[in-house]
Amino acid sequence: MNSFTKPQCTTHPARARRRLINAVMGAFMLSALAASPAHADTDHPVVALLPGVVDPFYFTMYHGAQKAAAEDNVQLLFQLPKSWNTTEQVPILKAFIAKRPDAILVSPVDAQQLIEPLTEAKNAGIKVITVDTYIGTGRYQTGSGNADFPLSFVASDNREGGRIAARTLAKAIGGKGIVFCESLKPGVSSTDARVQGFQEEMKKYPNIKVLPTLYSEDDANKAVSDVSGVMAREPGLSGVFGTNTFSGKGVAQAIHMAGKSGTVKLIVFDAVPGIDKDIKIGLVDYAIAQRPADMGYYGVKYAVDAIRGKSVPKEKSTGFVVMDKSNIDNADVKQYIYSN
Amino acid sequence: MQKASSLSGQPRATGTSSAPRTIDYKALVGRFWPWLFLAVLCLFFEIWSQVIQQRSFVFNAYNLQSIALAASAPMLLAIGQTFVIITAGIDLSVGFVMGLAAVCAAQFTLIGGSSPWALGLSVPLTIAVSVIPGAINGTLVARYRVPAFIGTLGMYGIARGAGFLAAGSGMTVSVDNPGLQWLGSGWNPVIVTVVLLAVMHFILSRTRFGQYTYAVGGNEQSAARAGINVRRHKIVIYMLAAAFAAVGGIVYTARFSAGSATAGEPMLLNSIAAVVIGGASLFGGTGNLIGTLIGALIIAVIEFGLVFINVDAFWQFIAVGVVIIVSVLIDQYKERLGV
Repeated sequence: MNSFTKPQCTTHPARARRRLINAVMGAFMLSALAASPAHADTDHPVVALLPGVVDPFYFTMYHGAQKAAAEDNVQLLFQLPKSWNTTEQVPILKAFIAKRPDAILVSPVDAQQLIEPLTEAKNAGIKVITVDTYIGTGRYQTGSGNADFPLSFVASDNREGGRIAARTLAKAIGGKGIVFCESLKPGVSSTDARVQGFQEEMKKYPNIKVLPTLYSEDDANKAVSDVSGVMAREPGLSGVFGTNTFSGKGVAQAIHMAGKSGTVKLIVFDAVPGIDKDIKIGLVDYAIAQRPADMGYYGVKYAVDAIRGKSVPKEKSTGFVVMDKSNIDNADVKQYIYSN
Repeated sequence: MQKASSLSGQPRATGTSSAPRTIDYKALVGRFWPWLFLAVLCLFFEIWSQVIQQRSFVFNAYNLQSIALAASAPMLLAIGQTFVIITAGIDLSVGFVMGLAAVCAAQFTLIGGSSPWALGLSVPLTIAVSVIPGAINGTLVARYRVPAFIGTLGMYGIARGAGFLAAGSGMTVSVDNPGLQWLGSGWNPVIVTVVLLAVMHFILSRTRFGQYTYAVGGNEQSAARAGINVRRHKIVIYMLAAAFAAVGGIVYTARFSAGSATAGEPMLLNSIAAVVIGGASLFGGTGNLIGTLIGALIIAVIEFGLVFINVDAFWQFIAVGVVIIVSVLIDQYKERLGV
C-alpha cells in the first residue's frame, strides 16, 4: 500500500487547493460547477470504491482493487456501507461525490434507486463503473434510457453461475431426483439471477424435479427451518442449492441434523472463509466461488483507462471456480477463497 | 385503558385461576386462545400429513426438533422482551445486541483456542459485555425518562455498529471449538432455552421480583408509592433483556460455528410478535412467559408447516402478519369485555 501512497504525497497540496477552490466556487456558483468536468490528474488518478456491504466478498474485491491501484499509481478511496440498504449507501456516495474523485467504482444496492445519485456523480464529471451489481438493466453506453451512463459493468454472470450450479448438482445426483433453491430474499438481482439460471439449466434434466424456491431472509435459523420442512415432506430430496452464505450455512446444518450429509448434496454460492473446512468434513459438497478480486482489479484498470482517454469494455464477466473435496487443497483453487 | 389493564392484569398475572362458577366459554376462549390456535394449527398440519403422507406431523422427532430449534432462537430474546413489555416498555435493541454477543462469543472463544473449556471464559465475558447496552437502555428509560421506543432505537444503531467493529474487517467471525460445537448440537440449544424459561417463569410468577415487575407496568406511580424502587427495577429488567439477547447470540454462534453481527436482526420482530401473540399488552401490566412460549411456537409452527405443505414463501410473511394483527384484535376485544 505504501508503494503508491508515497508518490501521492507530492501532489497532495495541489489536490487540496483544487478541492478548496471547488468548495468555494461551489458555494457561489453551484450550477456552473456541476456542468464543468473534474480535471483529472491522469498520472495520479483518484478512484473511489464503494461496495454494497461489509463482508469478505467485498474485502476481497478491495484487495484486488488495491493491487491494480498499486500498479497504476492510483489513490484508492474505500468506504463500506454497514448494511445492504439504499439509505446506507447513498450518503457515502454523496460524500464521495463531494470529494471529486476521477472515477467511482460502485456496487449499487438497488438497480433503480441508485440511478439518480449516480447521475449526480456523472454530472460532476466523475466516471462511473459498476462492479458486482448494476443500475437500470445493466446494459451501458447504449444511448437509450436514463441509466446507460456508467462506462462498464464488471461482475460475475450470476445467471451463468446458477447454470454451473445446476450442472454440477445434476451430475452429483446422477441426473435424477428432487432439488430446490434456498435463496436470500426476493428482489435481489444477483441471487434472483442465480435461481433463474439454475432453474433454466435444470429444465435440461427431465428426471430432476425442482421445487419452489424458499427465502431465508439471510437468517441461518430460518434456512434450517425451511430445509427441515422440505425434508419432512420430501424424504427423497437429493440436492439443495444455497444461493448465498447464510442460506448455505442453514441448509448445511439442516442436512447434518437429519443425518443426511453426503446423501443430500449441497452446493453453495460464494467461498467464504472456512469453506475449505466445511467441504473437507463433508458439510458442503460444492462451492461456487466468484472472483471478486478480479472485479476490483479490472474495475480499477478500466477506471484508469477511461481517465486516460482510452475506451473500455462495456461489460466484463469475471468467471467462477467450482470447489469440491478433490480440488480444495490445490493452491490455485484455494486462492479463490475470500479473505477478510 | 391503561388502568383497566392494570386492574384486570394483576390477578391474571399472578397465575392463580380465578375460576368462574358458571363456565363462561367466551372468557375461556379469550384467555386460552393462543393455546387453542396452536392446537388448531397442529391439527391442520397433522391431518394434511396423515392424508397426503400417511404419517404423523406432530409425533415425529425430526419435525419436533426442527420446530423447537426454530422457536428457541427468537424465544431467548422474547424471555427478556416479556419482562420489558410487562413494564410498559419495549426493547428494540435486542436483535443487534444478540448480533454483538454472537460476534463477541466467537472472538472470546478464539482466545481460548481449541480447549473445550474456552466457554468458561467466553460465555461470562460475552454476557458481561452485552449487559452494558442493557444498563444504558435502562438508565435512559428509567432515570432520564427517554421513551423506551426511542432510547432503545438509539441503542439498536449503537449495538449494530459495535457488532461490526467487534467482527473486525469481515461481517462474520468463524470459530472452531469443540465446547461451542457441543453447545450448539442436537437438542442442546432447546434445552438451554427451556431451562432458562423455567427459571424465569418461576421468577416472574412466584417471586417478589416478578410481582414488582407487574406492579411497575400496571401503575408506576402507585408502585413507587408502595415502596418499590422503580428506577432500579427497570434498569435491572433492561439488563436482563440484554443478557438474554447475549445468550441468544452465544447459542447462534454455537449452532453455526460463526458469529455474525446481523445474526439477530430478523429475530427482533419475531420476539416482539411472540410476546404480543402470547397475550402481553404493549401498555404494560399483563403478559406471562408461558403465553410468550406459545407465541414463539405458533410462529415457528406456521413457518415450518407452510414449507411442509409447500405453500409459496410469500404466504409465510402474510400468515405471520395476520396472526399478529388478529392476536392484538382479540386482546382489544378482551379488554372491552373485561375478561
